[in-house]
Amino acid sequence: MSDETVVVTENRPLTGGHFLLSLHSPRQALATRPGQFAMLRLPGRSDVLLRRPMSIYDVKPGAFAGSGNGDRSGSGDSPTIIQLLYKVVGRGTQLMAELKPRDEVEMLAPLGHGFFKEEYLDAARQADEVLHVAGGIGIAALLLPAKSLAQAGIRQRLFFGARTGLDLVGAEDFGPWVTDTVLATEDGSRGHAGYVTSPLEEYLERHPEKRFLLLVCGPWAMLQACAELARRPGCRCLVSMENRMGCGLGVCLGCCVHVEGQGHGSYERVCTEGPVFWAEHVIWERESIPKI
Amino acid sequence: MSANTKPSPASTAPAEPSAEFTPRLDSTIAGIHFNNPVLTASGTFGYGQEFAHLIDLNQLGGIVVKGISADPMPGNPPPRIYETEAGMLNAIGLQNVGARKFLEEKLPFLRSLQARCVVNVFGYSTEDYVRCIEILNQGEGIDAYELNISCPNTRCGGMVYGSDPKLTEEVVAASKRASRRPLFVKLSPNVTDITEFARASEGAGADGLTLVNTFVGMAIDVETRTPRISNITAGLSGPAIKPVALRMVYQTYHAVKIPVIGIGGIATADDALEFIIAGARAVQVGTANFYAPETAVQVVEGIRAYCQRHRVHLSDLVGSLRLPQNQPPSTEY
Repeated sequence: MSDETVVVTENRPLTGGHFLLSLHSPRQALATRPGQFAMLRLPGRSDVLLRRPMSIYDVKPGAFAGSGNGDRSGSGDSPTIIQLLYKVVGRGTQLMAELKPRDEVEMLAPLGHGFFKEEYLDAARQADEVLHVAGGIGIAALLLPAKSLAQAGIRQRLFFGARTGLDLVGAEDFGPWVTDTVLATEDGSRGHAGYVTSPLEEYLERHPEKRFLLLVCGPWAMLQACAELARRPGCRCLVSMENRMGCGLGVCLGCCVHVEGQGHGSYERVCTEGPVFWAEHVIWERESIPKI
Repeated sequence: MSANTKPSPASTAPAEPSAEFTPRLDSTIAGIHFNNPVLTASGTFGYGQEFAHLIDLNQLGGIVVKGISADPMPGNPPPRIYETEAGMLNAIGLQNVGARKFLEEKLPFLRSLQARCVVNVFGYSTEDYVRCIEILNQGEGIDAYELNISCPNTRCGGMVYGSDPKLTEEVVAASKRASRRPLFVKLSPNVTDITEFARASEGAGADGLTLVNTFVGMAIDVETRTPRISNITAGLSGPAIKPVALRMVYQTYHAVKIPVIGIGGIATADDALEFIIAGARAVQVGTANFYAPETAVQVVEGIRAYCQRHRVHLSDLVGSLRLPQNQPPSTEY
């Protein structure tokens, strides 16, 4: 992990208010493991004070030529570009959307142990199939794990749900790595109409004999629903958690989630112990708000 | 120029950078010698080690570690933080590993540093504070304690002590008796007159004062009409609070004889210098550590450059606010 000032090579607008931000950062790109994240800061903005946590969507080779397209202009296979897929949801991401090639941002990366934990990889190897389940921008956490699992010869399938068809960004990037992609939209504009957990449940029920590992990233309710679905025999579930973060370094304790077991009491830091947790270890019930 | 004379206009006028002038940035508080006046604030710097690969910890004057209680604390349910304009709200709930585990697992690293180690201590009762200090007394390599009587985020926590001068006196006196080290008291800004609590602490034996802790605030999600923080109210920190914290440091400097350590929204050397000129003998960098880990080291460098430029030592600057002639320092507001 390092804290670096890095240069924007491209900030490509996609559908539904999504962007794919490419940053030239060879050292951080090389160090990135699947499921890790970055903390991004826009220098000189005291109104947007804190860094923003973003899943590392992809790492790619490519030198910064200032051409506005760093993807294929370099030589060699070492990754030099970190890509962040994000959706404009608030003030921080709105300012990110205004970034242009050659702009500089400060990036702390790569952070968290992500998917790169022996027990997680063992679970993937033991499964007949790994099912990636993405809700909206949660897709951003899953591409690198899908790539690395495909390289290990593990069979995979993608279940991707979002509000509308315009929010289903990045599905095509999974094409080479998964055997099938199932899409769902809440407004029915593309794929299955409704939540993606419905076709997921049907799939699990059609294959009671198979062992599955679910790797899920998305809104809390979707994570919780997947954790429930994974309670059947032969099924395990990993969730990549999101939370507001102060530092990404493990010191502010702002990003803690309620998890059973050891660590800092029963609260563990998404940035340090996570962001990937076993679903069965997470305490999903929201705690009641204490009275003053 | 001696440390005690006020700087004259001639001596602080911008001068040619001179190689032979080496400003002294060290500061002595309650007998503890700090290499420079910049410390990192409790709760924003973990136990130091988390920043070891990002900055040179030996460039810091000191590290104030995360608040420690006699027993481990789980902390508050999430959500715990929320960003606001030029600031942030937090209600972590003093989650910590407990005094014994701190001594075993965290102190050895801190002891290896040149930076001074100050341990922030809190409790739910006077007995709790005393018990925590008694455990910490058994460890070597701690330079001072900072008594947290001002955390706004725990129900019966430090805040009760920090908002009643009699209780302040009681807990400071008991802690001072138990302590084998200098004792600083971290004051709450959530009071009508902070000097009352500063005097109460001084009277009860405090060796120094840290001010201020966070301001109680809140934020609401209007779509769902729910609080942004599970604790409902939370502590506001960051650049947004700096002017108010500065005013309180200024008032307190004129109200007590013991040293004052200034904290509240410091993100640059100029911020730190404002606190020092207002009367702080040292400063703490807090929230800025979260988004710019190099801040504290940059503040040290900036203060050094300022002192070089003005040909002054740090001690010349402490409390050196210039007022129009014949105007007495006003601490009323």
